[in-house]
Amino acid sequence: MKKQVFKAAFAAGVVGVLSASLVACSGLTGSSGSSGGSDSGSKADPNAKVTITVGDEPTADEPAAVAQFKKSVAAFEKLYPNITVKPSTETWEAQTFNAKLAAGTLPDTMGVSLTYSQQLIQNHQLPNMTPYLKQLGMLSELNPLAAKQAEDRAGNIYTLPYGLFQVGLSYNRKIFSEAGLDPNKPPSTWAEVQRDAKIIHQKVPKVAGYAQLTTNNTGGWMLTAMTYSMGGRVLNDQGTKTTFGPATTQALQLLHDMRWNDDSMGSQFLYNQDQIRQTFSAGKIGMVLQAPDIYGQATFTYGMKAADFGQTAMPQANGTNGTLTGGTIAMFNAKATPNQLLAAARWVKYEQFQQYFDKNLAIANAKANEHSVNPPGEPGLPPVSDAVNERYLGWIKPYISIPLQNFSGYTSANLKLVPEPFDAQQVYADLDPVVQKILTDKNANIAETLASASKTINGQLGQMSH
Amino acid sequence: MSKTIEMAAASRFTDRHRRRRRFSVVRWYRSGGLAALFFAVPLVLIFLYFNWGPIVRGVVLSLQHTNYVGPAQWVGLHNFEFVLTDPGLGKAALNTLYYAVLALIFGFPIPILLAVLINELRRWDWLYNVLAYLPAVVPPVAGILLWKFFYDPSANGIFNTILSWVGLGPYPWLNSGAMAMPSIVVYTTWAGAGSTAIIYIAALAGVRSELYEAAEIDGAGIWSRIWHITLPQLRNIILIMMLLQLIGTFQLFNEPFIFTGGGPNNATQTVMLRIYNYAFVNSDYGAATALSVLLAFALCLLSVAYYFATKKWGSS
Repeated sequence: MKKQVFKAAFAAGVVGVLSASLVACSGLTGSSGSSGGSDSGSKADPNAKVTITVGDEPTADEPAAVAQFKKSVAAFEKLYPNITVKPSTETWEAQTFNAKLAAGTLPDTMGVSLTYSQQLIQNHQLPNMTPYLKQLGMLSELNPLAAKQAEDRAGNIYTLPYGLFQVGLSYNRKIFSEAGLDPNKPPSTWAEVQRDAKIIHQKVPKVAGYAQLTTNNTGGWMLTAMTYSMGGRVLNDQGTKTTFGPATTQALQLLHDMRWNDDSMGSQFLYNQDQIRQTFSAGKIGMVLQAPDIYGQATFTYGMKAADFGQTAMPQANGTNGTLTGGTIAMFNAKATPNQLLAAARWVKYEQFQQYFDKNLAIANAKANEHSVNPPGEPGLPPVSDAVNERYLGWIKPYISIPLQNFSGYTSANLKLVPEPFDAQQVYADLDPVVQKILTDKNANIAETLASASKTINGQLGQMSH
Repeated sequence: MSKTIEMAAASRFTDRHRRRRRFSVVRWYRSGGLAALFFAVPLVLIFLYFNWGPIVRGVVLSLQHTNYVGPAQWVGLHNFEFVLTDPGLGKAALNTLYYAVLALIFGFPIPILLAVLINELRRWDWLYNVLAYLPAVVPPVAGILLWKFFYDPSANGIFNTILSWVGLGPYPWLNSGAMAMPSIVVYTTWAGAGSTAIIYIAALAGVRSELYEAAEIDGAGIWSRIWHITLPQLRNIILIMMLLQLIGTFQLFNEPFIFTGGGPNNATQTVMLRIYNYAFVNSDYGAATALSVLLAFALCLLSVAYYFATKKWGSS
């Protein structure tokens, strides 16, 4: 009897401890906080003594960039003696971002993927930055397309977008040559992508003609980009319901045909961003949907030859429809004080925008980043007007080592830029399984798969608005 | 007469015993009760705060909607309603059950067999111990990444190359909805067998050698000795390990998260992964805790059911 009682107690103890761990491991304790933002006019004193923490300090493996960052901090503190800057190497990572946001351990400002912008705004996890940006005279300087991604429906701006890009097609010029394709004439339509992928598969052994991102929300991200390029949308304008139509079906059918009929997509169908970039850089993928910022990682981190890298615009179908935009936003901590928010906005202005107006700073930054994962002159959408950007590019021209001619298909394109859907990360997460199913199940029914995903997404959008 | 004396003696003993049990503050103080309290209180408080605190806060959070910035709102049972009607929950629960069954059928007996075999070895048993335990030393994330490499679906992948020597494959492994979960079970069995086998080996050391000697004299062979002596002697530890494994399998997270991210097409989506996605992809902490509470409740029920189902076996 004693033995049984002991066993029951033991079992209950184990269950209790495991239950505790279960809930505790979710890191889901505590709640509430205070909003640091101000809806009506800035309450910040521009001369108040204040200390701010700023993220994105380069890590020790990039000594020149670290030195330049420290120099920037020193120059900023000299310019604004009342502000003390505490740098941090904290950077945005999809897997840890929400946990750190919930824990309140993020710096007062740091760069975050643009895809989070609307989700964070809707969740009321960001302070309203409009009064501070107005106070700094920055509202008029922002690229209007960028500003649209950073505001709510009432027009209040919550973040500062910079480092913008449009999704395009990266390709390996060496593989194109080996397959007998002209690397200076990359595909501009989806039909050409399918054709070239098939040729690469047939002529270059052990290389996937085309590969698709599928995991960690990137499958949905790229399906959305494909849908846009074929003239469709994934959500209605209010962001309350899915609007999958013929374009999404066509995109999935194309992937299905390339995978199962042409066999031109290789054998790996569970790719996240880093894995696909690594495989592409290793010369095992002919074409992949990517933003041009892959260039720095491919050449600096993974050792791909710069001459082998090619970037062109997003392939189109059903006419010219446009492409998905992306980039980085400067996020501000909702728990920061008004004085900290004003100082943090000043810092972002200085660090991200000042170089467009200050020749010496532009040259110093370009020199420091010449051999880094963010090389100067990387094609993208400027956060400032085109004229200002052209002048800036002229200043740093001697330090641009990127073979810009390999980006000509991308830089010469004039595609319509389509913003990301509301709650982008959530929608993308629910679309990952759709893309995975099409690529791993030959008999997958596209309509049924989309209907099932639609039900899940609509349920979650309803839960968000609760 | 002697019976009466015995009863009187027993009565006196009981009375004395009752008197001893009566609480006296002075006696408690003199016997060092205050010192015991002094040592016990911090431990109890720490235990309550760190073990039961999160449980209570988790239950509270499951009834709220919060973004950790503004004040939390009470939403009653809405989060439970949402997670229970989420079309993805059924698939995640079935996947978790599927994994638990696979792990129980294929993964559970292996450490027992390993332990018995090592125990039967007369020489070099320490070497086999080390070899069996080695996978447990490999950090889980490193092990998973290593196996991900082994599971390369191309014809050049390590497993596919080995299987091609006997004319099999290439197999898609993690890239197939049908093969992904069994592939994860193979990994978890490899990773967990060593450490579990060590526990069984320790338990086997406690089995009296006379039993084996007697069985050998009676002409019992190795299988007969295992069946009639080893397994019955390990009965209690097997029951406990099975319960721990069952609870562990229902909390499967690391492997599908790193191997497949829950794919392909949710084939390895588990309840824990769903909880993670609610919290850290959707920022819906209410739904995440609601599902955590439901899972904890299900595990409690499972443990109780398991206890009663195996009570007879354990005490026989």
